[in-house]
Amino acid sequence: MFVILTYDVGEKRVNKVRKHLKKYLIWTQNSVFEGEITDGKLKKCLSELNHILNREEDSLYVYEVKSPKFITKTIYGQEKNIDELFL
Amino acid sequence: MDRDYYIFSNGRLKRKDNTIYFIDSQDNKNSIPVEQTNSLHIFGEVDLNTKLLNYLPKYGVILNFYNYYGYYSGTYYPRKKNVSGFTVVKQALHNFDYNKRLFLAKSFIDSAVHHILRNMRRHKEDIKELIEKIELERLNIERANRIDELMGIEGRIRKYYYQSFNWILRDDFTIERREKRPPKDPVNALISFGNSLMYTAVLSEIYKTQLDPTISYLHEPSTKRFSLSLDIAEIFKPLIVDSVIFYLINNRIITLENFDDQDGICFLNEQGRKKFIREYEKKMSTTIKHRKLKRKVSYKMFIRLECYKLIKHFIGDEVYKPLKAWW
Amino acid sequence: MGIDFDKLKVQGVKVNYFYICKRKLWLFSKGISMEQNSDRVLYGKLVHKNAYPRLKKREVLIDDILKLDIMDKTYVKEIKVSSKMTEADKMQLLYYLYYLKQLGIEKKGMINYVKERKLEEISLTAEYEKKIENTLVEINRILKMETPPALKKLPYCKKCAYYEFCYALEED
Repeated sequence: MFVILTYDVGEKRVNKVRKHLKKYLIWTQNSVFEGEITDGKLKKCLSELNHILNREEDSLYVYEVKSPKFITKTIYGQEKNIDELFL
Repeated sequence: MDRDYYIFSNGRLKRKDNTIYFIDSQDNKNSIPVEQTNSLHIFGEVDLNTKLLNYLPKYGVILNFYNYYGYYSGTYYPRKKNVSGFTVVKQALHNFDYNKRLFLAKSFIDSAVHHILRNMRRHKEDIKELIEKIELERLNIERANRIDELMGIEGRIRKYYYQSFNWILRDDFTIERREKRPPKDPVNALISFGNSLMYTAVLSEIYKTQLDPTISYLHEPSTKRFSLSLDIAEIFKPLIVDSVIFYLINNRIITLENFDDQDGICFLNEQGRKKFIREYEKKMSTTIKHRKLKRKVSYKMFIRLECYKLIKHFIGDEVYKPLKAWW
Repeated sequence: MGIDFDKLKVQGVKVNYFYICKRKLWLFSKGISMEQNSDRVLYGKLVHKNAYPRLKKREVLIDDILKLDIMDKTYVKEIKVSSKMTEADKMQLLYYLYYLKQLGIEKKGMINYVKERKLEEISLTAEYEKKIENTLVEINRILKMETPPALKKLPYCKKCAYYEFCYALEED
């Protein structure tokens, strides 16, 4: 499936969260990640993240779409260069 | 979900923050999600160190290297996690027993010819004669009782097949004969480039199974190549690579501008390589509904299923029947 | 004791597989494992990790073939995702209890089904002991087979890590 993941976390934890998510997804914008991922991998990723987050202060939103086909992405202004295939 | 990444820029690959980073010569840092990476293809001038190489086996990420001309030069094949001595012994027995070996060699060629004819029949005009010649040669496969005989039959079939490219492809692309070392014309360059991508794709599927990549049947097990990859690639080259070549040329996506000639070697330039890879990746992720699995299966997954069928054949579970595209 | 236990003892997971699918048991025993491609197995591992977050000590390894999730004074506790495969899970735990008894340790068993939030207690009766012994004999018979047990369609095939392996077949 395709997920978009956004988060709002205390300053101390921002870097930790971003570093962790980079193992699984593509960093699109500050505090936003996206990418294709299997259900099991996503659960693994979130359960590891659980140890980093502070439940009293932080929030994490996960939007899941069954197939990336159902997503259109239009970019206005500056696109951060994340070509999926070529580096 | 496991993706391949193709690195064209110059720079450095490293392990950082528990994932893989590529840092290009302008110091742009790109993270590559290690949990989701199948293999990396390195076309640029890239530095890497042991810290990275020691990190990759944990996630089973394979590195493939290509030379300046974009042709394959080698693979870093990390230590496997899932080995089965039992399976490897059986796999070797099937090479050791000549009749068993012949059976598998014939199976691979039979499937390759099925896919070759499938490509040709889509472009029936003008190549009827070549099709008939191949169909006649095909009858000899069954009767052959030596591997070198089979190789000869296969060579002749390929010769007719490549001749047919002159009708299948647009006018400005022609091929006289297959020339590998090195490719001297654009069509040979495309075939070589595509075949090496196929070889690495098959290798990375073998890597995920218990098969030993060095024990092969049609190709002589050698010291230079993972020859089982070459065997299985026979099935998929006409099915995947050739259809990508026809599509790219006949739709004018790749033109003569996308080739370079240097030192008597013809090769795809960076633009051309990227166009090829884009289309090839699209093909690999295209899905077909599998008749027995009752699930959609991507072309890439079909390669893995072929590995599974071979394992089942080796362990005496189910006689191997190669894939013959029915769609 | 009607069996030579030391000769017949196996990894706990093999008892589990015996009650799920004998073909899976055989393949697994030959090192043909598919677990690494399976989302469900990954999930099971996570459930394990997160079930008792406050517990420091987990996974007691005995004789290199028993991997107990948790052991305390009274219980051997096993963590399972859901109660769909109850019989297999139960027999695996009973096998652990039987094994420990051979070592002179008597415990009761407890299964924690995380999804349903359900605890189930179980004790090793004489009847169960007999069943475990028969199971061990059967498992050893299967492991000695030259070729894998033939494919038999089971209702949970689709969820199994071996599904693609088993059903990768061509039509005639």
